[in-house]
Amino acid sequence: MDDIDAMFSDLLGEMDLLTQSLGQETVPPEPLLLPATNEEINFSIGFTDLNESLHELEDNDLDALMADLVADLSATEEKLAAEIEGLKVPSPPQSDLPPPPKGLSTHSASPHASPASSTRSSVSTPASSAASPLPPPPPQSSKPTKEEIEAQMKADKIKLALEKLKEAKVKKLVVKVLMNDGSSKTLMVDERQNVREVLDNLFEKTHCDCNVDWSLCETNPELQLERAFEDHENLVEPLSAWTRDSENKVLFQERKEKYEVFKNPQNFYLWKKDKKALKDIKDKDKDILIQENFCGTSIIVPDLEAVLHLKEDGKKSWKQRLFQLRASGIYYVPKGKTKSSRDLVCFLQFDNVNVYYGKDFKSKYKAPTDFCFVLKHPQIQKESQYIKYLCCDDAWTMNLWVTGIRIAKYGASLYENYKTAEKKAAVSSVWTNRSTPSSSNPSTPSPTIKGSTTRKLSLLSLKHQCVDPPCLVNSPPPVHVTMFYILSSQDFGNIPPPPPPPPLPSTEILPPPPPDPVLPPPPPLAAKSYAKPVPPQRHLPTNFPPPAMDNLPPPPPPPPMDDSSEAPPDFLPPPPPAAGFGSLPPPPPLLMNSLPPPPPSFGGMDQSLPPPPPDPEFLPPPPTQQVYIGAGAPPPPPPPPPPAAAAAAPRAPVRPSGSVKKLPPAPPKRTTPSLLGEGGGGGGGDFMSELMLAMQKKRSDH
Amino acid sequence: MAAWDLSVTVEDLGPDTPPVTLSVTSDLHVGGVILKLVEKTQIKRDWSDHALWWEQKQRWLLRTAWTLEKYGIHADARLVFMPQHKPLKLGLPNGITLRLRACFSNPVFQTVIGICRMLNIRHPEELSLLRPLEEKKKKKDKDSTVEIYDLTEVPLSSVSRPCLYNGMPAHFADSPQMEAIYKMLSVTQPPPAPEVIAKQYRPASVVDKAHINGRWLDSSRCLMQQGIQENDKLWLRFKYFAFYDIEPKYDVVRLTQLYEQARWAILLEDIDCTEEEMMLFGALQYHISKVSQSEPQLLSSSAAMDDLESALQSLEVKMEGESSSASEMLENMTAPELNDYLKIFRPKRLTLKGYKQYWFKFQDTSISYFKSKEESIGEPIQQINLKGCEVAPDVNMAAQKFLIRLLIPAPEGMNEVYLRCENEQQYAQWMAACRLASKGKSLADSSYQSEIQSIHSFLAMQKTNSGSHGNAAASDESINTHSLVSPRYHKKYKAKQLTPRILDAYQNVAQFSLTEAVMRFLQIWQALPDFGLSYVVVRFKGSRKDEVLGIAPNRLIRIDLGVGDVVKTWRYNNMKQWNVNWDIKQMAIEFEGNVNIAFSCVTADCKIVHEFIGGYIFMSTRSREKSDTLNEELFHKLTGGHEAL
Repeated sequence: MDDIDAMFSDLLGEMDLLTQSLGQETVPPEPLLLPATNEEINFSIGFTDLNESLHELEDNDLDALMADLVADLSATEEKLAAEIEGLKVPSPPQSDLPPPPKGLSTHSASPHASPASSTRSSVSTPASSAASPLPPPPPQSSKPTKEEIEAQMKADKIKLALEKLKEAKVKKLVVKVLMNDGSSKTLMVDERQNVREVLDNLFEKTHCDCNVDWSLCETNPELQLERAFEDHENLVEPLSAWTRDSENKVLFQERKEKYEVFKNPQNFYLWKKDKKALKDIKDKDKDILIQENFCGTSIIVPDLEAVLHLKEDGKKSWKQRLFQLRASGIYYVPKGKTKSSRDLVCFLQFDNVNVYYGKDFKSKYKAPTDFCFVLKHPQIQKESQYIKYLCCDDAWTMNLWVTGIRIAKYGASLYENYKTAEKKAAVSSVWTNRSTPSSSNPSTPSPTIKGSTTRKLSLLSLKHQCVDPPCLVNSPPPVHVTMFYILSSQDFGNIPPPPPPPPLPSTEILPPPPPDPVLPPPPPLAAKSYAKPVPPQRHLPTNFPPPAMDNLPPPPPPPPMDDSSEAPPDFLPPPPPAAGFGSLPPPPPLLMNSLPPPPPSFGGMDQSLPPPPPDPEFLPPPPTQQVYIGAGAPPPPPPPPPPAAAAAAPRAPVRPSGSVKKLPPAPPKRTTPSLLGEGGGGGGGDFMSELMLAMQKKRSDH
Repeated sequence: MAAWDLSVTVEDLGPDTPPVTLSVTSDLHVGGVILKLVEKTQIKRDWSDHALWWEQKQRWLLRTAWTLEKYGIHADARLVFMPQHKPLKLGLPNGITLRLRACFSNPVFQTVIGICRMLNIRHPEELSLLRPLEEKKKKKDKDSTVEIYDLTEVPLSSVSRPCLYNGMPAHFADSPQMEAIYKMLSVTQPPPAPEVIAKQYRPASVVDKAHINGRWLDSSRCLMQQGIQENDKLWLRFKYFAFYDIEPKYDVVRLTQLYEQARWAILLEDIDCTEEEMMLFGALQYHISKVSQSEPQLLSSSAAMDDLESALQSLEVKMEGESSSASEMLENMTAPELNDYLKIFRPKRLTLKGYKQYWFKFQDTSISYFKSKEESIGEPIQQINLKGCEVAPDVNMAAQKFLIRLLIPAPEGMNEVYLRCENEQQYAQWMAACRLASKGKSLADSSYQSEIQSIHSFLAMQKTNSGSHGNAAASDESINTHSLVSPRYHKKYKAKQLTPRILDAYQNVAQFSLTEAVMRFLQIWQALPDFGLSYVVVRFKGSRKDEVLGIAPNRLIRIDLGVGDVVKTWRYNNMKQWNVNWDIKQMAIEFEGNVNIAFSCVTADCKIVHEFIGGYIFMSTRSREKSDTLNEELFHKLTGGHEAL
């Protein structure tokens, strides 16, 4: 183990060198340099944490971590190269590039040996420590195109410094995720990544069918709770709330209830109707329901009402109450009062709590049934009077409530998540394997967790909605009757159907995995240039602004941007898998070019920018490679980003406005793609071989 | 052909002038009659808006090419020659009364389109006119005070083409007075005085609520036919609660009026909500009134952002601002912090009895405390991270009690900690810091100052409205919190007690812009379970008691008056057809699966119910592809009565 530690310190040292050299070269005697003290603190904190986490990691996990670090390193180098060249490549949070998918073989059959160990540990970003006293080994010479940048120099430096500051703060966790088969995968998750990105990452690692039911769940054995993270949640934050000795786990599994409400909205929104009617409902009517409840100005929460059992604070007994769910919270009807809204007593609002499924509460808490759910602040990890326990008569009711609460709490995000997941599933099912069952029928059997339930329509209780006995019109023959026919069922069909997952053009397909997935000696270039063009391409509302640019002193045009620099996540370009979210990759390099934009007209904030003035230098893009690498075809040779950007530039109007509006106009100059490649490679060579040696050494020790 | 005498009253000559008698033949067309008439009066003026109204038959003779014979007009016909557009007093959702010229000759549907075009409200199909409630008998108290804003001078021609000038229709840009009226339409009104709310009619039951729906005018007939006279008062209201394509940029007036209608619906308990929801509505109203006073142009100026130039300008400003701040930011990397002596109390812990004073430091999102200022360099006694915690105020101005109650999550549960401040200033600073920290924001956050401000202004409210006198409504600093909630809560809570509750809800909305806050208000309103229900008392076929039919944008519900519960729901998308038997005033509806219902209407004409249902079906056929063209024909087909077909 000492060996490993030593290696890691070396590794960190190396990275420091790299970053430092970068600092020295591009940010010379500026006053902007970070206060060294700060950095030192970070550094040392990082170190202890790292040590701890290393001790807890198993060997194969260590490999994985190494892979992540390698990815980091190569990215750092690349950034370095890019910057030295004066090339405004999106220095996308290198640190975030997910590791090149490693061969799964590394995980082999190693048994899950340390079940009790915490499944996470923190690693401070190595790239952040710029204050290391080591002499700079600058492998890169500043070859190209440095002449023109003068005007931007200062801006760049500020940006760079800010970027480093940001990175220094980024928190990362090494997370062990348990698979259905009992094996586990270890990944590094940084605090800017949301669950969707982590799932995408896992999809790549596991080759599962990527259907929408795949979820990341947390379990709390002490409280016997579990819940699926929502796709838009950040993963690091809830995991940080776990205690040191926590036995909580993160699971990767299919959960049918995750998006059930979008597959069968009638079960939630028409729950009072009789089950036969619900079963026979037409797709068209489902669409209408989704449209009505999720696509209007306001998200409508199912109108739930049921007698539930409530565990009284601190007592063992369970008490029945008539509860109602409203968008604003859960209420109950006090004894002797009517159900009118004004008499309702607020039981709880959702701002500060999450909803969890309870397991085996019958034996643990003497609950009337095992169909329990719990509401608690995410930070509460042990038994406490602040946890609210509710018990339903049946699984159906429980699911109704948990889903209803999720809708009330997360609102529109839930539907957005679903659409994204669906898109992802569609792409994957086309792309990966034609024999894989398509996403819409999640057929892969998975060990069901107790919380996930089978629908029991028959159990639907409470207020029933039977159909009127047909009261026929047998009044005196109407003298004067006008008939109004619904013009046709199409009339209703006119309601714009809920956006179905737009069929993805093949071009939006995931970037293929790097050609060489074998880990230890990762040819740095291949891996990273794949990742490169991909990052900032998403047009989700949850979109993060592209990297770094927020901090640029001459900021990109539209005002809406400015808060974005606050939240760390903004900083993060998604890892490659995010490409699956569709949309054309906007050319990252553009973002970095921070010249005060020669403002091209942009009428309307929502409009995409008109194509930047064509620059002769980059006009001829390698025609073969479009922006969309991959495209379902075998991976093309590593396309360096700039040409991709160039190719994308003229297509600007097509781009999703979300990310586009942040683009400043095209940079006036650009280096050729090949330069970048060379630069990055040159820098990486020595270091990578060292790393390789280290890895090999470590192996042989075992 | 034999000539006969036709007498026509010319309204413009005054009521006392005897009718003009014309000698006509039956094959003379209406246009010819008008020509003769105008010649005879010998008045030179623009008669183009005038037309003949046939009193006995209650109809306009608008087809000038039709002959008298074709219309069936004989010598006994009493015809009136008058303008088709006449002044009307129009009560808007925000309580303001306008006087404007509306069309009395076209179906009300078109009259509303005309009015909305004049007022710059998109999607007029969602609105309609209704007869106002009779004023209560208290005629004696100053009725005259109702101010009426006059729009009758707006040339009718200009209304047809909606060209915008300065973000408002050109006819509002003519004079400062007109501009002021437009402001009245597009800026939310200050909260009403509590007495004003209390004085208004409030429906006490579902049946009361049902009565208002009997007052809607018939969309397929004209105002004259419905007995509306010149200068009568009508209300313009949103009738169909299916708001299509709301776009704050273009819908300034529409959004404002919609907000006002929603606000009054809440204040008058036209729609029920819970106490928590009421507090949130109150907080939003407070915020909206505050923001609209400080930045009244926000709504309209966003339209101007279309303008390339202004967009570029703001860009420039922003860039300048940022480039300087970026370097500054680096220099002042040390985050702002608060340092002071405060008293702390932990109710749960036995070790600390009573409040104990320590030196407190607020940094980032954490509070740390030390024995004294001198020892603050070392390790703190404790550090508490406030992220994710609950913050509640416990303030009593009179007793000078300034307490911050913190509920801090920890793995073991929530820890209660009270912080006691010495004075208002200290309290506002620390409270604001705690609030931000609970949301994960540090003191460096831009909202910190405004948070302090709002705490101050709420404290001020607590100070001032010890008594509940209401003309404070206008001034910004001291809104009476009774102005923000329904009268039920006037009785339940003193204004002083309401303040902290509304402030509590206010935390979550304080950072909204005006548009966001208005939209949020509407969203919460729309998320209420009873939203969008228009009630009518009906008698179901075969039933012997009255029941209530609730008509919603997507469904019909049947409410048992005895229980007050929804007993049945039918969705429109399962509806196959519906019939109206005009003679026995009965509606019969057939749903898929062989479900038939039939009912007669008690509190409203069955035409009104029919129009509601047809109208909602019409609303659901609107889609983006069809863009702005309104399919009027379809509307009439779905909502018209027998004469429409």
